[in-house]
Amino acid sequence: MRNDLAPGPARLEEVIVETPTIKTFVLRPAEPLPFRAGQFVQLYLPGVGEAPFTPSSSPSEPERLEVTVLAAGRVTAALHELEPGAVIGVRGPFGRGYPLAKLAGHEVVVVGGGVGLAPLRSLLYTLFERPGLARRVSIKYGAREPHELCFQRQYASWAAQEAVDFTPTIDRPAAGWPGRVGLVTTLLDGLDVDVSEAYAVCCGPEIMLRFVARKLVDVGFRPERVYLSMNRNMTCGMGICGRCNVGSLYLCKDGPDLSYAEVRDIPYALG
Amino acid sequence: MRFLATAALAQLASSLAETHDVFLPRRDGERWMLGRWAPAGRGEVPWNPFRLPEPLKSIWFPPGQVVARWPREFAETPARPRALFGAKACDLKAVACLDRVLRDHDFREPAWCAARASTLIVAGDCTDCADSCFCTMLGDLPHPTDLFDLCLSPVEGGYLVEVGSERGARLVADHVGLFEAAPAGAVELRERARLELAQRVRRQNERFPVRDPFERSVAKHERTRIWAELAATCVECNACNLVCPTCHCFLLHDLPEGDGAVRCRLWDSCFSAGHARMAGGLTPRLQLTERFRNHYEHKFVTFPRNWGMTACSGCGRCIEACMGRIDKRECLHTLERRWIPSEIERELD
Repeated sequence: MRNDLAPGPARLEEVIVETPTIKTFVLRPAEPLPFRAGQFVQLYLPGVGEAPFTPSSSPSEPERLEVTVLAAGRVTAALHELEPGAVIGVRGPFGRGYPLAKLAGHEVVVVGGGVGLAPLRSLLYTLFERPGLARRVSIKYGAREPHELCFQRQYASWAAQEAVDFTPTIDRPAAGWPGRVGLVTTLLDGLDVDVSEAYAVCCGPEIMLRFVARKLVDVGFRPERVYLSMNRNMTCGMGICGRCNVGSLYLCKDGPDLSYAEVRDIPYALG
Repeated sequence: MRFLATAALAQLASSLAETHDVFLPRRDGERWMLGRWAPAGRGEVPWNPFRLPEPLKSIWFPPGQVVARWPREFAETPARPRALFGAKACDLKAVACLDRVLRDHDFREPAWCAARASTLIVAGDCTDCADSCFCTMLGDLPHPTDLFDLCLSPVEGGYLVEVGSERGARLVADHVGLFEAAPAGAVELRERARLELAQRVRRQNERFPVRDPFERSVAKHERTRIWAELAATCVECNACNLVCPTCHCFLLHDLPEGDGAVRCRLWDSCFSAGHARMAGGLTPRLQLTERFRNHYEHKFVTFPRNWGMTACSGCGRCIEACMGRIDKRECLHTLERRWIPSEIERELD
């Protein structure tokens, strides 16, 4: 019988420094790991521990996985120490992934906060590779400071895509920053989309998700069309270990991407 | 229905021990525990009148178990088949809960599946009850109705034997010399004893009258302050979860081993403050009252929604284990009885 708790090997090919605290790890699993955008994998550091991450690369390349990681805890700190050539473990994918079928034919607002843009990048690649899947992609991205904005080298090429716009913002004014200042919620006023029909896909800290979801509903989005990446601590990935439950939902297998309509009435679902 | 004399039961266990690891109740003075058949022992199968203090899940889902090694290796499966004596109805209901979670869906937990498939279960009627027993409050009965290979009911001089599976039938066929025809009237005696004990369990729980389904009683308090009151004496020791036969939360503990690494699965408890803590420090259910509510919500509301049955067997182990003297029956009774709209907490979101 297959053992879903046993990770398989993956070779670290490259480490890309994104920000002072965020790195992207380019991995080549021994066996291709097909995944859908939004599904997550468990990265395992032998003898150290394991943590869940949603790949930030395109699902069209299952043999080459990019995972973008903020150094935040014990496992992520150890990951950040790794050099190319290291062999680590990976298992998955787990979860349902983003609701691509529902997004088809609609305008999609993608809202990211900090390292929360990483899982969304996998969705963006999917949407860019399939022009016409979404009628329009509007990306709203916030970070605390300019140097904390992730994937800066790619913004110009994203915005150059047809029917795509990209707006970053930073929380506090900073010298030399020519762009918007304010929380990412401030980018959600006066959106140039038909809010009653559009979908939103959001990923970031829970506190951000809570306020972004409320804001989107305030400006006219339907709660069932606002998707939130609820990437909490998920250990097993199979709905067994009991760590990630929100009401009767297990984020690891029923999510991690759930609509606001599904979670808003569950006590403490959003922090 | 067959009859097995007391001495023949010991012979059956002894015979099984040649090919199986045999687990059976052991008694040390007033203390009962789960033990192993020892050839050098007294050579008897003690009759536990009701469930043992420890949950039987420990033989299939041990408190700590190696589930993977690095480089990749499949989890060990038990080398020998097992036989378990002394399981009661509540133990079997708990096994049914865990089967749903660990076996009967998209993901199959290899160690559980292998251990379950290779374990022969010789269950038995309860012939007495602990003060904390409350299976009847959940609509269950203190005698096994399902999930056993053989079920024993004590009668004069031995046991009435009900066969519950093909494996049980084979066991009887392989040891046909040990079994006798059931004595006249024994089945009627069994039914009368079962009825009397069920009535005793009901009577001892009459002080916790409930009418509504527990799902409704617990769900209606989703946002009330009653949990602070119910959890007032909880010291967060986690004992209720660790002795619970249906609890299955775990953590994966990774350790270096030689040139590789080993991955252990350890029982965990949702009562721990850090149970759901994330790397950034955010901890869902930081307050004890939220974790306390989560325990009840999982057992009586969300598990039924997800798996079609209550994740409580009424075994009362959590009541016995609680240092704060929190009685689940009292809590369920209070949850049903109390409904004060002004206690609804302000919505957080």
